[in-house]
Amino acid sequence: MRYVIIGNGVAGITAADTIRRIDPEGHIVFVAREAFPPYCRPMISNILAGSAELDELPIRPDDYYRSLGATAYLGVEATGLDLESREVSISAGANLAFDRLLIASGADPHRIEAENLDLENIFFMRTVKDVLGMVEALPKVKHALVLGGGLVGFKAAYGFLSRGIRVTMLIRSGFPLSMQIDQTAGEMIQAELERHGLEVRTGIEATGFEAGEDGAVRAARLSDGTSLECDAVVVGKGVFPARGYVPSAIETDAGILVDDSMQTNVAGVYAAGDVAQHVDVARRRPWVNAIWPVAVEMGRVAGHNMAGYPMRYPGSLSRNVIRIFDLDVMTAGMVSPRESEGLETAEGYDRRRHTYRKLLFREGVLVGFVLVNQIEQGGVLMNLVHQGASLNGLTAEALGPRFNVGQVMGRGRQAGTGYPAPAVGAPSTRHTANAAAAGSSAAVTTATE
Amino acid sequence: MKQVIVHPERCVGCMQCMTACATAHSTSKTLIGALLEEPRPAPRIHVGAGLEDEGFPNRCRHCDPAPCQLGCLPGAIYRAKGSNTVMVDYDLCINCASCAMACPYGVIRFAEDPKAPPGKTVAVKCDNCVERQAQGKVPACVETCFAGALTFEEPSEAMKRRTGEVAASISLDAAAHRVPLSASWDLQSEMKRRQKALDQR
Ligand SMILES: Cc1cc2nc3c(=O)[nH]c(=O)nc-3n(C[C@H](O)[C@H](O)[C@H](O)COP(=O)(O)OP(=O)(O)OC[C@H]3O[C@@H](n4cnc5c(N)ncnc54)[C@H](O)[C@@H]3O)c2cc1C
Ligand code: SF4
Ligand code: SF4
Repeated sequence: MRYVIIGNGVAGITAADTIRRIDPEGHIVFVAREAFPPYCRPMISNILAGSAELDELPIRPDDYYRSLGATAYLGVEATGLDLESREVSISAGANLAFDRLLIASGADPHRIEAENLDLENIFFMRTVKDVLGMVEALPKVKHALVLGGGLVGFKAAYGFLSRGIRVTMLIRSGFPLSMQIDQTAGEMIQAELERHGLEVRTGIEATGFEAGEDGAVRAARLSDGTSLECDAVVVGKGVFPARGYVPSAIETDAGILVDDSMQTNVAGVYAAGDVAQHVDVARRRPWVNAIWPVAVEMGRVAGHNMAGYPMRYPGSLSRNVIRIFDLDVMTAGMVSPRESEGLETAEGYDRRRHTYRKLLFREGVLVGFVLVNQIEQGGVLMNLVHQGASLNGLTAEALGPRFNVGQVMGRGRQAGTGYPAPAVGAPSTRHTANAAAAGSSAAVTTATE
Repeated sequence: MKQVIVHPERCVGCMQCMTACATAHSTSKTLIGALLEEPRPAPRIHVGAGLEDEGFPNRCRHCDPAPCQLGCLPGAIYRAKGSNTVMVDYDLCINCASCAMACPYGVIRFAEDPKAPPGKTVAVKCDNCVERQAQGKVPACVETCFAGALTFEEPSEAMKRRTGEVAASISLDAAAHRVPLSASWDLQSEMKRRQKALDQR
């Protein structure tokens, strides 16, 4: 069996590891644009912030490909797929035949329409190379401009601020992280960053850039006709699945559409990770969840199926954890204002503890949540969203500071799942009372707007 | 292999286990010493209140495969060789809380630790008292629990089944409300089943 894997990101290497466990003989071939050893992509933001070193990035040993018995074309791109002859053409000028193909090429940053985008010190933030360029430029940077208020934009801003560099962030509309979180949490994050020197400007965009004498960016021209001096720019306008080389015979929506086995509509051709589009369990429809744990899961499922050991993927859930200075934010599922329209919501803000919680329900079923600070129980909630279980009545406890898995299990017991009856303790409403006493406000409302 | 087994129905909510756990993870290994230490050692077991206010001792289940391990970005979570214990490598941990987002039991906390690089906040959770076990002692929480809510024994079939039931109960009335696509819990169980099957080949 000949397996070709495009991309050596976490989806690709997880699939390869899985295949090797099941099929000790098969020939595994990697085609990978990045020559750097397989690494923890999210940690590139730690490199920018100065909280991690380059040698901490790799997540597999130096001799990874050799020990796996794999052939790796590194620094080489897949340029096309021939589904008739079942071959991948590569930039190194060869054709690689496959019996099973995994498309795990991840995502590429969105480019923007702006003049002189290729000036020096204008960066995207996706690869270790991108971030090394940023670090090299740092000594000369006094004012950084971040375009876009998404996750990567925030991580870039956080990185510069951690280095003591002034940052201005331009957001086209709404509030920061409006795709990931609700307005209250977005404003809390913005306030925290502003406290550390970030300036946020909304409703404005960069239309072009001007070079200084050294050829590096010196200023940005803005959509309101003004210009803004800056000596580094990070474009954080989101990512899109890296599937430019994939022929149209393979069905796509935003990403490459896959079934529960991670197979595309073409037999023997699979996709996993940021490039793939399976189903979101909360949204109940095809959705790209371009996050690390999902790439790991998809890689595993794809590996199993490619090696002939059938396994189904139950679907993924969008989720994020953001830790910015003294603020921890955890969010999952349908929480953005656009998506939460019409959902039943419950929220609680605790001024004293500086915590905020919001739960979103669809017909009594938890489909999303936001936690600001006190995030330890996020995994419990996430599992509840995944289970699609009915949560009628849990709301008050889940919003209170004492929420824990015991309360969920208690419910399981009531529902007759065989959990033993407690030896002590009588029915009580103490949690809700406590939550109120601690100064938290809980309200159940139905979002109208 | 002996394991800590939790009997929540026997818990009286005295929280002695939390104190014993923190002490066991201190440098001095004494309560007074632990209170004076900087950083103050954190307990790895947490007694919460159940729905009806009954005590609920909650600690890491050392799941296999472990959702926290699959979610960890830099690969800092590993299973100690030859044991049932899921561990955090404090050198690799970047304090990103991805594990807390993945743990269905909510047992991971973030703190400085005597064993971690100085000044570094890391993910801390139960390590089955590996240090004490190496000295032939039982885990500290078990030693201190007079109510018998924590025991250290070979998991019998019945106990395994119970643990399974507890794990299943987290899914509430999942069977009745199952979304057509099933859930992460099933994925974890399925992966475990497969891993076992592969190991046995
Ligand atoms: C700054 C930053 C911070 C992040 N933080 C988090 C976080 O905190 N939590 C989280 O869950 N996720 C985070 N993510 C997202 C996470 O990194 C991705 O979801 C994950 O890396 C996806 O893995 P993948 O294997 O699908 O794709 P990738 O990691 O993108 O790997 C794909 C590889 O394929 C290569 N490739 C592309 N096209 C070709 C081609 N034609 N031929 C050959 N090779 C090709 C790419 O160069 C790349 O090396 C972050 C991402 C970034 C950029
Ligand atoms: S920390 Fe949570 S997910 Fe990880 S092994 Fe322990 S109980 Fe399981
Ligand atoms: S906090 Fe540490 S252990 Fe937890 S996921 Fe992040 S790196 Fe891994």
